[in-house]
Amino acid sequence: MSLKRQELIAGLTMTGPWVLGLLTLTLYPFAASLWWSFCEYDLLGQPRWVGGSNYARLARDISTGGQFWQALGNTAYYAVASVLLSVLVGVSLATLLSQTIRGRTLMRTLCFLPAVVPTVAAAVLWMWLLDPQAGLVNKALTTLELPAQNWFRGTSAAAWPTSWPTDAGGRVFGSKDGLVLMSVWGIGNLLVIYLAAIGDVPRALYEAAEIDGASPWRKFLHVTLPMLTPVIFFNVVMGLIQSVQAFTDVYLVSDGQGDPAGATMTVSLYLFLTAFKDLDMGYASAMAWLLFVIVAMATWWLFRTSRKWVHQ
Amino acid sequence: MKSNAMNDNHETSSNIAGKVLVVLATALFAIPLVWMVLTSLKTPEQIANAPYSWWPSPLRWENYREAVSAMPFLRYLVNTLVLCLGSVAGTLFSCTLAAYAFARLRFPGRNLLFAVLIATMLLPWQVTMAPRFLLIRELGLYDSLGALIAPTFLGNAFYIFLLRQFFLTIPQDMIEAARMDGASELGILWRIALPLARPALATVALLQFVAAWNNYGGPLLYLNDPQHFPLAYGLERFVSSHSTQTHLLMAAAVLFTLPIVAAFFLAQRLFLRGIATTGLKG
Repeated sequence: MSLKRQELIAGLTMTGPWVLGLLTLTLYPFAASLWWSFCEYDLLGQPRWVGGSNYARLARDISTGGQFWQALGNTAYYAVASVLLSVLVGVSLATLLSQTIRGRTLMRTLCFLPAVVPTVAAAVLWMWLLDPQAGLVNKALTTLELPAQNWFRGTSAAAWPTSWPTDAGGRVFGSKDGLVLMSVWGIGNLLVIYLAAIGDVPRALYEAAEIDGASPWRKFLHVTLPMLTPVIFFNVVMGLIQSVQAFTDVYLVSDGQGDPAGATMTVSLYLFLTAFKDLDMGYASAMAWLLFVIVAMATWWLFRTSRKWVHQ
Repeated sequence: MKSNAMNDNHETSSNIAGKVLVVLATALFAIPLVWMVLTSLKTPEQIANAPYSWWPSPLRWENYREAVSAMPFLRYLVNTLVLCLGSVAGTLFSCTLAAYAFARLRFPGRNLLFAVLIATMLLPWQVTMAPRFLLIRELGLYDSLGALIAPTFLGNAFYIFLLRQFFLTIPQDMIEAARMDGASELGILWRIALPLARPALATVALLQFVAAWNNYGGPLLYLNDPQHFPLAYGLERFVSSHSTQTHLLMAAAVLFTLPIVAAFFLAQRLFLRGIATTGLKG
């Protein structure tokens, strides 16, 4: 048997398990959910073709500001806030952690550590930290004479945007902001990437800036930041894709039903409940496909605009 | 590096500001974890009563014993370990084979398959969730850990990508030489590639172990009988039934987090390599 033939057979055999997984666990479900999105299907009987009525239902929901529309709004709020904050905190914290300072390794480890805390434990912990009555965060706020916020387990006033920007008690933040805080706390993996990128910036660029008398702030603005734009772009794209898919933390802090008053009902959660509580697979599949198209378009738009601001 | 005296002064003042800021930021990241541990050692009275105090007094270690005995902890732990070890075995088996083929073999369709592999990483789980659930139920795996373990034997795009990057660094000469000596591809993988790839394999094993340890969505979807619950899921059941007993909740959360934090300290390099190769997946 020739080497070439041997290589072909080996290649097909060795990728075999993954190809089987691709066909059964990815491509078949991908096609099936597209088919189901045009059907009525409750898991018990057979899928029954209903044409575009699931999509029409989504359009109606969106035009009347129904549950799906609110879930879209919640998801967009969570995604935009957590991605923006992750860039802001990621870049600035990594810059701070790049200084020569005693105990740097320890500080880097401490900032990274929350990233390895299991989501279930993190959710339990943050529900306690952000408890409106007894939580540490609100205690700290009131000690500083700032208004306590509603956070998790709050009343329906936490249902942004009904009470936005502030209600009578000076409450600005609600449950969604609690979720954003949680996600920013677990930013460790990004920090590692930013730290590596900052370490890769050529020293000569800083030295040239110093000769020109640049202040540390100007060095950051004109040297560090432009050199970080490829990583920031990566952060934004992956952050968007991941925050739209966030499920476990949302499910846990919302008691599995978007509490309080639907404030944490994201598309992920609404879709999950529609599929497995209401057994409305057709409608859930239509939602999934709409979400997929929205995310794909957002990603495409990010790539298109990236030429303008990402350093090559 | 510092060129003149003026520059030095200038730098000193902003250096101090930077140092103060970094210490403050680190404290903000660390306080939640410290608070979790401190709360786990307090009495319920100390938690409930004013004034708010930091240090647990008296230290109440019984919280841990109570948290453990309030749920079938041992059963959950055994299930978790079965889930973790089973899925690590599945991942190493399927991902090593595919990664080696993508990195070191030339066969028609390889590049197309690899492009598909990358594309699947971007596909949201929502799109495949429902039919995948039905398929696994049809296979009779519903309500067993098999529902969570079996798919790992069919590969994972992130890990295949990570291992492929590593296999690419093995000198082609070594592989060609073995081929000329008549070694089979499996033989080359087993005797040459795998021993060299040990650090990458350890990284993948560790990441998958942690992922299985943390997995909550899987059990939520596929498990029904508490007999089969792993810790992540069982813990949440415990949380909803003891939601007012903060001291026990924190003790349980600490117990659940500790092994992962310990693993991180024992194998920092492996964690960091995983992040460096596959980005946010960690």
